[in-house]
Amino acid sequence: MIDGLSALFALMVFPGFGFLFVCALAFQWIDRWAVARLQGRIGPPWFQPLADFVKLMAKEDTLPTGAHELACAVLPVVSLAAVLTASLYIPVAGRAVSAFEGDLIVVLFLLSIPALTYFLAGWFSVGVYSIIGGNRSLLQYFAYEVPFLMALTSPAILSGSWSISHIAVQQSQTVWMVLVQPLGFLLAVVGLIGKLKRPPFDIPKAKSEVVAGPLTEFSGRKLALWHLTLDIQMVIGIFLVVNVFLGGSSPGTIYPVSSLGAIPAAMAFGAKALVVLLLLSVSSVLYARLRIDQLANIGWRVLAPLALAQILATILIGAG
Amino acid sequence: MSRFHSLIYMLPELWRTLLTKPITVRFPFAPAELPRYFRGKVVIDPTLCRGCGLCVRDCPAFALELERESREKFRLIHYRDRCAYCGQCEVSCKFGAITLANEFVSAAPQRDALSQVMVDRDNDMPHK
Amino acid sequence: MLKEPLSFLLTVEGERVVDSVLRLGYVHRGLERLCQERNYVQNLHLVERVCGICSHIHTTTYCQGVEALLGLEVPLRALYLRALLCELERIHSHLLWLGVLAENAGFTTIFMYAWRDREIALDIMDELSGGRVAHAVNILGGVRIDVGEASVASSLMRLDELERRIEVFLGVIQHERTFRARTRNVGHLSAEQVRRYCVVGPVARASGADVDVRRDAPYAAYDRLRFKVITSNEGDVWARALVRTLEAVESVHLCRQLLTELPDGPLSVRAPRRVPPGEVVSRGEAPRGELVYYIRSDGSDKPARIKIRTPTLATLITLPDQLRGVNTADVPVVLAGVDLCISCADR
Repeated sequence: MIDGLSALFALMVFPGFGFLFVCALAFQWIDRWAVARLQGRIGPPWFQPLADFVKLMAKEDTLPTGAHELACAVLPVVSLAAVLTASLYIPVAGRAVSAFEGDLIVVLFLLSIPALTYFLAGWFSVGVYSIIGGNRSLLQYFAYEVPFLMALTSPAILSGSWSISHIAVQQSQTVWMVLVQPLGFLLAVVGLIGKLKRPPFDIPKAKSEVVAGPLTEFSGRKLALWHLTLDIQMVIGIFLVVNVFLGGSSPGTIYPVSSLGAIPAAMAFGAKALVVLLLLSVSSVLYARLRIDQLANIGWRVLAPLALAQILATILIGAG
Repeated sequence: MSRFHSLIYMLPELWRTLLTKPITVRFPFAPAELPRYFRGKVVIDPTLCRGCGLCVRDCPAFALELERESREKFRLIHYRDRCAYCGQCEVSCKFGAITLANEFVSAAPQRDALSQVMVDRDNDMPHK
Repeated sequence: MLKEPLSFLLTVEGERVVDSVLRLGYVHRGLERLCQERNYVQNLHLVERVCGICSHIHTTTYCQGVEALLGLEVPLRALYLRALLCELERIHSHLLWLGVLAENAGFTTIFMYAWRDREIALDIMDELSGGRVAHAVNILGGVRIDVGEASVASSLMRLDELERRIEVFLGVIQHERTFRARTRNVGHLSAEQVRRYCVVGPVARASGADVDVRRDAPYAAYDRLRFKVITSNEGDVWARALVRTLEAVESVHLCRQLLTELPDGPLSVRAPRRVPPGEVVSRGEAPRGELVYYIRSDGSDKPARIKIRTPTLATLITLPDQLRGVNTADVPVVLAGVDLCISCADR
């Protein structure tokens, strides 16, 4: 009984749905505030993401004629479920809901479901902009996913375990992965920018070209769920990178800190997550948006070979 | 220009922007400063107005109306919603009766509240 | 992106544009017809509202035409003040355009920066004339606002700041990698096409055509000023960005000359109400190119016909040519590169 209650608490409150919901809104606000300050303006007030969510939930839900209604109703729920399931295995401040050997691969697979549902959303909600956006999102998926996967498997090879919790804990006994594999960290962040469809890789939802891409025809509750999915995906992505590269919640790099109090662990984890978030914000204001062919060029000619080189270096040098 | 520099070209500029205050003016929570020659509310001095109609003739938006009964009895009405605040009446008036004040024209919920009788001259009102 | 109504029907194959059909007329207000029902003084303000960005050059060109018909000699101080506002307007228009181009290419930061620095130019125009975009400075026969010593000093200080900021954008256009990647070799127009379509303005100058009304047919005070006409040979959107930004720098130099060499004298001469019969063609260099006014009068105080040929009309017809074979992603960049002002084109 106690077990069931604590499991329920972990799933719904911390580090489950409730915590992720609050984190998604908070991260979105921090990102918008940082981008605004970097562009010389003031950002929205702190309650803006919450207000947006509530407003969207209350709005009318329409779809164009010819759109597949059942698919469009199911897709946002499916992608939200995939992202939340992926969050089960990602430790927050040292605590994951569950962990097993190989959960890194499961998480990476689950995190690629939103990309597929994003394309399907564009396909099933028939509309010129939706279909063009959906096509672009699939092309982009192939460009960033390969370097992203390869960049995230190098730390696993180095630490000899395929469980995210294990990789995070191991770094508290040795050094942070980012110091050993800075190239991997960079590639993981670039892949994350592509996965989250943030500038300069916001090609599928380029406002000046395809209105809102695959989500153009969505409105009301479905759109609220889509935005929630994308925000939680950002939170999960940042937590994943923090755990795999920045050592989870261990504050030190050299001293073997194995057990910490809950508050310092949470603060260390939060600080690292904020650093990665600010990295994402700064990178989103640095560049113009790329064209899809330029992105495919960069993905296959620059990023993938670099990631491959990283893996080879890890195998040859790390194992030796 | 090296390839690396061209990739991080914007960074110094971003840093400079972070250090300067945003130029957003939080109006209406902070006051808005109006320039010296701002063309705001149309103000007509009733003692100077002769009812000649030069302003009426030259208004591009037909926002001024003169109802004339005799040389000494006339009404000059200004429709604030039609007015374009261009200032032509100020230039056209030979007697300097019209000025465009340095303040905003406030909104009103009914259209009629925006038309204003500026000069109401009867026989026994003195004028310069 | 400039929130002006324009309709493009693009036939697309995958990501390549095959054909395009352009539709205008969504903001046609019939201004030329309205001008025939109002007298010359009222028309001054009607004509100012043809365009919001280049309002001053419209009134200047109109005033020049009517003053030529009336045979008036406008005092030199008024001519200098008119030219000053023309150049300030050119700076603000080019910075606005740079922001729009950046936003269409996904570079929101440059959009925010360009419009923030445009505020400096708007502040100068604010102080000199009382309005940020609707200046209402011209009257038939001269100008109606004077510029004092304090305004000259503060404007010169602001111009220094503005020049520093425009140099930053010049650096971004020339060196920043992603901006070049988006605008290079996009929307190419050859010199032959420019000649055939009679394109005007920075679009023509970016393809090598050396045309500028300020130098070829000087008006206002331009025959007494020293300035360069910027051209480029590349002919793509990147060249247009370079030409316009360099023109903005040149305009800052011109403003300095105008402010420091401002002659004394009256501000206007009295203009009679009735215009003798005749017809006149008046030209001006709007930020987007050559602006032509044809005014015919029949002796009354209302014009018989005013025809306005705005520069956007001349550059628009090159769009189907530019859009052929271009990526879907490049369509907003090409549209922004031509610097459309639909309210000018539709009148």
